[in-house]
Amino acid sequence: MHRSKLRLLGGLALALGIGLVGAGCGSSSTSTGSTAAAGTATKDEAVAAEVPAAIASKGTLTVAADASYPPNEFIGSDGTTVEGMDADLAQAIAAVLGLKAKVVNASFDGIIPGLAAGKYDLGMSSFTDNKEREKVVDFVTYYSAGTSFYVKAKGGPTINGLADLCGLTVVVERGTTQADDAKAQSTTCKNAGKKGVTVLVFPDQSGANLALSSDRGEVGMADSPVAADIVKKSNGKFALVGQPYGTAPYGIAIPKGNGMSTPVLDAVKTLMANGVYDSIMAKWGLEKGAIDNPQINGAVS
Amino acid sequence: MRHPGRWVAAAIVVLLSAALIASIATNPRFEWSIVGDYFFSTRVLDGLVITLELTVVSMAIGIALGIVLAVMRLSPNPLVSVASWVYVWFFRATPVLVQILFWSNISALYPRLSLGIPFGPQLTDFSANDVITPFAAGVLALGLNEAAYMAEIVRAGILSVEEGQVEAAQSLGMTRLQTMRRIVLPQAMRVIIPPTGNETISMLKTTSLVSVIAVTELLYSVQLIYAVNFQTIPLLIVASIWYLIFTTVLSIGQYYVERRFSHRGSRDLPETPFQRIRRNLFSFRHATVEPSGGSGGSG
Repeated sequence: MHRSKLRLLGGLALALGIGLVGAGCGSSSTSTGSTAAAGTATKDEAVAAEVPAAIASKGTLTVAADASYPPNEFIGSDGTTVEGMDADLAQAIAAVLGLKAKVVNASFDGIIPGLAAGKYDLGMSSFTDNKEREKVVDFVTYYSAGTSFYVKAKGGPTINGLADLCGLTVVVERGTTQADDAKAQSTTCKNAGKKGVTVLVFPDQSGANLALSSDRGEVGMADSPVAADIVKKSNGKFALVGQPYGTAPYGIAIPKGNGMSTPVLDAVKTLMANGVYDSIMAKWGLEKGAIDNPQINGAVS
Repeated sequence: MRHPGRWVAAAIVVLLSAALIASIATNPRFEWSIVGDYFFSTRVLDGLVITLELTVVSMAIGIALGIVLAVMRLSPNPLVSVASWVYVWFFRATPVLVQILFWSNISALYPRLSLGIPFGPQLTDFSANDVITPFAAGVLALGLNEAAYMAEIVRAGILSVEEGQVEAAQSLGMTRLQTMRRIVLPQAMRVIIPPTGNETISMLKTTSLVSVIAVTELLYSVQLIYAVNFQTIPLLIVASIWYLIFTTVLSIGQYYVERRFSHRGSRDLPETPFQRIRRNLFSFRHATVEPSGGSGGSG
């Protein structure tokens, strides 16, 4: 017994020693991504050096998100922390740049003016990168979102694509590509001699869902991850129908001229290369829209 | 020079005002050219029309129902009085936003509305969503809510008329309704009008809450535009200027309504600002008029 205890202690000491040495190696800032655990990012010296001095000296990157859009950004169960895919990605990008990320909840309207006023450094709120918005801010694309349809599970219409929307009432959130798509489809329907689409645009997604549940609207349209989350949380009241269509890139909004576009782009590329990006997408069930070629200002329309 | 202090103070005020206006006009961050682009755009004007319609109809419902509720509250019949109190209590207690969402989504609770005898036969029924359109839901919510607040304002006006007037009317043999219509309410108007003007001007902006049920009034129209093009500040300025213009119109309207109901005969009314300007501009012979208006009326 004496000997086995000694062996046990010896084994423990050896393991501890290896662990300490390993940790010592791991804390070196030039460790390659493959040794980092999935989901945790480490600083990359080359990329971190691209960060302008003004922001690097602050040590913190303030990222704004409108936390009313699960699973991309929402307020967690503690009532204050912003969680979601965008929040996790913000933390990872900041880590690569050698900074800490502070993700703050801001109303969607206030994020772009806040970037221009220097209140925030980045905006990550499921912004769709389009040419009109590129006049005001720069974007680094990082995800590709399709649109899904969802209806009331009992008695909802069957929708296979945009063409089935003629004559129906659609509920959408303002500022989304779905709002534009539904209005465009209405024109297409009318040109084909059919009834147009009635589009009800709500200030937030929950208003749209409420209208769907009270039959004020017949079909809901939202980004695929958001629609899937709504259906999951509806306890059987809603169901996804048809196939997702179309894709538009999500972009990280960066104020023009603050020098962060290239560092953020390189940080995203680093995260895609070392698997952290994929693990974040897998965590939130968003693998379908993951991309592998982030760009600055990659709008297609 | 008489009153030199006044001239100095006036000069300082003019200088500061000019500096402020110059700063706002020349600051490129306001993007006044974009304000100009969108000021008369179709979407903004359509939204403005909806805001004005909502304001007018909601205030009409609110004032009419408010007067009825106030008179009910002062009734000797306890059932009538309590019913009025319960209405005012309930509609002031719940947030307007909740009321708007309720009326618009009433179909989630009552998919069909029917006319008939309670617990008895139904005459006819119809789908709630067909009858109560989003605009109607907004008007209902705002109007019924406003009625509760107007009831208290009208009641305050009625209470401000001294009891002697009611006693005198009763001693002349007038019924309660005649007393109310011909003696009490006309005198109560003086106290009722300023707060009512307040409520109307406030309603002009409160209508923006109907955005939560997808009704595109002025502020929401502007929000929808900048949600796509990100020009937030210039577009909010567009909406603000429109609200300023119509608040000014309403304020001027309130001034003239107050004049109409003031106690003096028309011969003794003080000058309106327009009349004063006309008199000072066009009667050069009377250039040195006393600044403080005496008992004399307009020239």
